[in-house]
Amino acid sequence: MSETVLPAAQQIFLDPMIWGVVIVAAFYGVFLGAMPGLTATMGVALFVPMTFWLEPLPALAAIVTMVACAIFAGDIPTTLMRIPGTPASAAYADDAYLLAQRGEAPTALGIMLWFSVTGGLFGALVLMLLGNQLARCASWFSVAEYFWLYLMGISCAVIVGGSSVARSLLGLLIGLLFSTVGLSAVHGQARFVFGQPELFQGISFIPAMIGLFGLSEVLRGSLGLDRSLTAPTAAVQARSLLGPALSLFPTRILAWMRSSTLGALIGILPGAGADIASWVSAAVSKRRSRTPEQYGKGSTECLADASAANSASLAGAWIPALVFGIPGDSVTAIVIGVLYMKNLKPGPEIFETQGVLVFSLYLIFILANLVLLPVGMLAIRTGGLIMRIPRRVLLPVIVLLCIVGAYAVGGSLFDVWLMFGFGLLGLACERWKISIGALVLGMILGGPLEERFVQTLAGGDGSLWAFVDRPVAAGLALVCLLVWLSVAVSAHRSSRLLAAGDSEV
Amino acid sequence: MILRRKLAVPPSRPPQVRWLSRSWIGNSFVSVALGLLLFALGCSAEREFPNQPISLICPWSAGGGTDRVARQVAAQLESELGVPVNVINAIGGSGVTGHTRGAVARADGYTLTMITVELSMLHWRGLTSVTHEDFAPLQLLNRDPAALFVRKDSVFQSLDDLQAAIDSAAASGKKLKASGTAYGGIWHIATAGWLDRRGLAPDAVNWVSINGAGPSIQELLAGGIDFLCCSLPEADAVLDAQVRCLGVMSDERISGFEDVPTFQEQAHDWSIAGWRGIAAPRETPPERLQVLGDALARVTATESFRDFMAAAGFDISLEAPAEFAQTLQRQDRLFGDILTSEALRGVSGEHFGPLMFPTIVAIGLVVVLVVVSIELWREQAVMIGETSPAGAVEAAAGDGAEPAGSAGAQNRFGYPVAVAVAVIFYIVASEPLGFVTTAMVMLAGLLCAFRVRLPVALSVAVLTALVTYQVFGLLLRVPLPRGFLEW
Repeated sequence: MSETVLPAAQQIFLDPMIWGVVIVAAFYGVFLGAMPGLTATMGVALFVPMTFWLEPLPALAAIVTMVACAIFAGDIPTTLMRIPGTPASAAYADDAYLLAQRGEAPTALGIMLWFSVTGGLFGALVLMLLGNQLARCASWFSVAEYFWLYLMGISCAVIVGGSSVARSLLGLLIGLLFSTVGLSAVHGQARFVFGQPELFQGISFIPAMIGLFGLSEVLRGSLGLDRSLTAPTAAVQARSLLGPALSLFPTRILAWMRSSTLGALIGILPGAGADIASWVSAAVSKRRSRTPEQYGKGSTECLADASAANSASLAGAWIPALVFGIPGDSVTAIVIGVLYMKNLKPGPEIFETQGVLVFSLYLIFILANLVLLPVGMLAIRTGGLIMRIPRRVLLPVIVLLCIVGAYAVGGSLFDVWLMFGFGLLGLACERWKISIGALVLGMILGGPLEERFVQTLAGGDGSLWAFVDRPVAAGLALVCLLVWLSVAVSAHRSSRLLAAGDSEV
Repeated sequence: MILRRKLAVPPSRPPQVRWLSRSWIGNSFVSVALGLLLFALGCSAEREFPNQPISLICPWSAGGGTDRVARQVAAQLESELGVPVNVINAIGGSGVTGHTRGAVARADGYTLTMITVELSMLHWRGLTSVTHEDFAPLQLLNRDPAALFVRKDSVFQSLDDLQAAIDSAAASGKKLKASGTAYGGIWHIATAGWLDRRGLAPDAVNWVSINGAGPSIQELLAGGIDFLCCSLPEADAVLDAQVRCLGVMSDERISGFEDVPTFQEQAHDWSIAGWRGIAAPRETPPERLQVLGDALARVTATESFRDFMAAAGFDISLEAPAEFAQTLQRQDRLFGDILTSEALRGVSGEHFGPLMFPTIVAIGLVVVLVVVSIELWREQAVMIGETSPAGAVEAAAGDGAEPAGSAGAQNRFGYPVAVAVAVIFYIVASEPLGFVTTAMVMLAGLLCAFRVRLPVALSVAVLTALVTYQVFGLLLRVPLPRGFLEW
């Protein structure tokens, strides 16, 4: 071990080149994540040509740092404008935004920053110690196991979602139905496209997400423009940004460890990344919480656990990429290309032949998260200036950001129409308290869920036994069943409570 | 005026706002000066083709073999042409999505497509009307013969072992499972063609439709399928360590994989290969095709491209446009013969229809909708006599809510309507007018509708539009609409 640790540490911490690259990449990543519509993936793809001039290690360092910072920075527009900067922030968008509306934006952002950093560090540690062994878990997962995993993922939306189970479920089903628009991945046949060539690819969920969260909030805010005299005054220049986070941290050590471990494990599975990690973690967190009624209404526990999980998942995604050459998420897909470009062949032997490189990679994760702390604080303070702009001026600017963000994904004005339509839908959902988060998750996971569903059926020649005839699949199915049972029980209990409350009135 | 009145309310006026409410002259001076500066920065690009970002459509998912080649070509083409070349993964539908999008793209040379062997297959299967005739071929990059893989711990040691197992499994009614690509994709046809050549039914194997070789390898490792068909480089990372190659469907051994026996050596007379190339839409102007073709020829001749292909194990095979066009025609006939043959016509269907999943979801939706309606109806009943339900929507209504003036009450719905009008205006106007002009007009209009003072509205509109253009258009390379002013 020590013959890899020492040279790796020297390579990372003593090289000014690495430091320089990491710091520049941190700023770039924060900037990118904070811009609505631009995901971490897009940023990394934009960066690929630059890796030509870099040695493998600085190139990988830049990618790691960029993504870690972008995932946190996505929380900034989520909190201040309710536009999730990256899909990973959608799970707790309402909690963060409501806290900001109460003037607690610095608290919320400070918590998210602190837990992102520590979650990322924990994720890196888990991989450093267990990465090689954990890689094997990924190879247990066939399409049937993925089917149950995705099903559990969408169930989380129902757990996290607002007041009523039925309305979260409604949002989820609407989202799932939207996800079936376009050419189906398995059959290659067009569905619900109404002759629109743009719809063949399906409804891209980033414009939809920007519309549902961002534009609908502008529309809603403009409704009350003449009534609210004072813009929510958030003292972002509060004396201590991290104070509340640091006092929260000791009370949530166990939750933090649980969320980070969960995030790292989800990250390892190809096809499940930061977005699913934050949903699952938020759901588990709500189930274990003593104040579940706060979730969705500005719960700091939810913010802490979900941010820790989505940052911890990032390192996990590198494991299948390094070991099997199978990307754990869209970013590592690009990383594999970069590795090949640098003549580094992924595969199980990379741990032996490139032991120093792999260990250096872990250290880069640690370095990236350490750099994120000051850079993130700077970004929060800069972003906080937004809160001082009067709402009459801010809302039109947000409209432009929504438009450009929706357009940036595919360079198509059709996406702007989509964003607009989903903005109106979002307004309607708010009116009837249908969970928007569940809707977005349904759209994200609908495609993969259907694919695994049909693949499992086809693999089993149409028999439903194919879903449970492997031990891991059966185990996951059982967990799924238990989750639903517990949701049903608690829904039943809360409806009885509600009925009791009604009779008192 | 209104803005001022509103702003006077908080006890200490923040510095940002003080700046906004400066005098009209000072404001406009600042914004004009900044505007000129940013204009100068924005207009530095020369007008010769290419002067905009180029999109390279990849019909397969990120991280797969095609994607890797696409990204390598894009990166090198970018330094060759001096404009950004962005890879777009338009995936799904066994390659239909990407090829169709590439064929119908504007024929201005700014959209290229990484065409793959599926182009010669899809229209024979009736999945699309797009054929090689919709493209102007630019450069053939490589050919990859198909190969069959099993897990390292598998009992199958040779093609004959596998064939016998397939035969007996099919006879017993529990077929072996295989994958490598979506249903009807190249590796599926390669497998089915091999089975047919050996006298077995093409559907003697249960093909699981999985998009891309990467996820299929995962499935093989997880034991979800019994064998895998894909190209050698696609399975390179796990070859020998986790999987064993039973044979490659080519006449000669492949360089870089000299240990892998061919089908011919094992007396299985069958060879088939996938290929990848770059093409532009058919109607692209010839002089632009020339520029692109020359650039691609230079890229593929470089040491670094060859090194990359060798390192990744892709069998390089270069053909210039004219030659490539002939190859495309030959390929089209070849796959036409295979896919329309009696034996293979059976594989073109899929058992579980595309409407099954949407139907399940829709049924659930109807049920839940009924439950929610009941809930809403109950709430309404409870609310009567409590509060007015209309007020429930607005969380924004703060503590210091001012009694709405007469104008305010009328305009309450005016604001959201103004937002809607602004978005629609942008969608309609941005293509002809260009991004910067449209954004300025839209913002100024919307700010005025929100009753911000005109000078403030104008300066905010000009500044925001320019900064957004700089950030998204130039720094982040989003191809914003350019309009007649090219700006």
